[in-house]
Amino acid sequence: MTSKPVKPLLEIQNLDVTLKNRDSYFKALDDLSFNVLPGEILGLVGESGAGKSMTGSAILGLIEPPLFISKGKIIFKGKRIEENAISVRGSMISMIFQDPLVSLNPLRKIGDQLVETIRTHINIDKAEAITYAKNLLEEVGIDRERFNAYPHTFSGGMRQRVVIALALAPNPSLIIADEPTSALDVSVQALILALLKRLCKERGTSIILITHDMGVIAETTDRVAVLYSGRLSEIGKTSEVLNSPKHPYTQGLIAATPRIDADSLKTKLYQIPGTMPDLSEIPDGCPFHQRCSKSIPKCSENNPPLLYDRASCWLLEKESV
Amino acid sequence: MLLIILRRILQAIMVLLLVALVSFIIFRYVGNPVDNILGQEATLAQRAALEEALGLNQSIYIQYFDFLWKAAQFEFGNSYRGALPVSDLIASRLPATLELAITSAIIGVSLGVILGIYTAINRGSFLSNFILSTSLIGVSLPTFLIGVLLIWIFSVELNWLPSFGRGEVVDLGWWTTGFLTLSGIKSLILPSITLGLYQMTLVMRLTRAEMLEVLKQDYIRLAYSLGLTKKQIYFFHALPNILIPVITIAGLQLGSVIAFAIITETVFQWPGVGLLFINAVYYVDIPVMSAYLLLVGFAFVIINLIVDLTYLLIDPRLRDNQLKLEV
Ligand SMILES: Nc1ncnc2c1ncn2[C@@H]1O[C@H](COP(=O)(O)OP(=O)(O)O)[C@@H](O)[C@H]1O
Ligand SMILES: [Mg+2]
Repeated sequence: MTSKPVKPLLEIQNLDVTLKNRDSYFKALDDLSFNVLPGEILGLVGESGAGKSMTGSAILGLIEPPLFISKGKIIFKGKRIEENAISVRGSMISMIFQDPLVSLNPLRKIGDQLVETIRTHINIDKAEAITYAKNLLEEVGIDRERFNAYPHTFSGGMRQRVVIALALAPNPSLIIADEPTSALDVSVQALILALLKRLCKERGTSIILITHDMGVIAETTDRVAVLYSGRLSEIGKTSEVLNSPKHPYTQGLIAATPRIDADSLKTKLYQIPGTMPDLSEIPDGCPFHQRCSKSIPKCSENNPPLLYDRASCWLLEKESV
Repeated sequence: MLLIILRRILQAIMVLLLVALVSFIIFRYVGNPVDNILGQEATLAQRAALEEALGLNQSIYIQYFDFLWKAAQFEFGNSYRGALPVSDLIASRLPATLELAITSAIIGVSLGVILGIYTAINRGSFLSNFILSTSLIGVSLPTFLIGVLLIWIFSVELNWLPSFGRGEVVDLGWWTTGFLTLSGIKSLILPSITLGLYQMTLVMRLTRAEMLEVLKQDYIRLAYSLGLTKKQIYFFHALPNILIPVITIAGLQLGSVIAFAIITETVFQWPGVGLLFINAVYYVDIPVMSAYLLLVGFAFVIINLIVDLTYLLIDPRLRDNQLKLEV
């Protein structure tokens, strides 16, 4: 390593989110730690229910009972925000949700929604905000004449562009995009991802890109964090993780990703056996061991820590990375 | 847009014609008007003369159109009792009912919406729970009991407010109002609370339920994540989205407040059309009953029309869908 280490934009340290159900407590996020560097796109990947959305909600302080943050720190630009995320919401960190059909207020013109967000965070008068909003619309590929249109007059992809404009409007340093293209037509997905990527790179905005799609990770992200049962399974540079995955879960996810080449079309797609356990049924030891073909006795006894800053798997102990 | 409005108005007119038909049938066929007016002992000649005068020997269509034509001019014949024109009777009573209905609807809807929003936003707080459980009493007690209870407390025991009548009213020529005198306002308090309490409870529970539902929507989560203030989120994002169900219920309630003011008017001896109607039923005063029916129907239709048009005002999706369907 020759370059001097960059100061992270966001640090998540030993974060626990707990679900309280009557008198039982279940960990939805368990000792989660990772960083987001300025300007990078970090992928957050894992099966449905892994805790990806929960991580996003925790960062923005949108966790509500019966869930609560029970441990850990969330540090943004050097300041702890897990208690008062409201101070960074929108202005510093904003979010894009999965389903653009329901993430815009149906009764309000898109222009109004944009101007409202802009003026909440930036001290400019209405006329300036309108110009600003129209420019933003143009940047995300929407005709500025549609400023006064209502959400229902847009297609799903177009609405997601509006949502991107909204998320970018206060000029945040981090955008959390929670499955931003999962609800869209395949043909539109790549366009939207490319747009998001381009706009954020131009502005130096970091992205946490939440997805269950390894293909999206491969095409879009700089680094990737793999989540399983609320725990970090593996983290690293996207190219490294995809080319030589260390955690059997990551290996499974990659093997389960459809590829369009002559060989893979003939063979049946691999599936990781079993399903991710419910919060109340997470086993002792490594949460993945019951589904893991490589598990050793130790796996069912102790939960592995993150080894070599790369993967939480006991197999790494024997290996050098 | 204009097309939709015109269509709504047309629908409203159709419904009104139907109500008028029912009202006409009651007017014409419940009992025999001639018997009712002249009594059993009239001579044949007298009867024929009256039938001629009332137009009863004309074809039924002509009679119906005649009825409509007169109703449109607010003419409903004479009351069997006292032989006063029904229109005069109603005109003298209507202000009392409308003032009561509108006051109680305003109390019911505004308090209901405010408390509904409050209890939704502060879910689980002590005050919310208190309001909610108290409101259960509001729905479960019958109106007349609440009225009697209020009279007992505020009129009999405390002697603060009058227990019956409208107090002093000011005659504006075409309208008599109780809003302009102290005794008029004092008299309005108990009956309008009685009538408004149930509406308030209903509106509050609906508002709360709708609000809780809306607050779960993604656009609200997006608004939060964009750092909008609670005020912006509650009032500019959530509130507009609960308006349609709330306005629907508020409209229905206003209609039923007018229709069912009867009970409250009876308890408080409020000189409105409800009381007039009760007396009309008692004396089988058909013209009054038929006119009352038409009036209540008219009120419902107008309120419905306004509610429908408000939908279009609130929801752009309805404006557009309708256009697509029709063009
Ligand atoms: N409001 C809630 N109440 C109880 N459990 C929840 C709630 N929200 C999420 N969970 C649980 O937390 C876990 C993580 O959920 P989530 O972050 O939405 O997963 P995903 O990775 O698919 O985004 C899941 O097991 C889910 O069932
Ligand atoms: Mg999710």
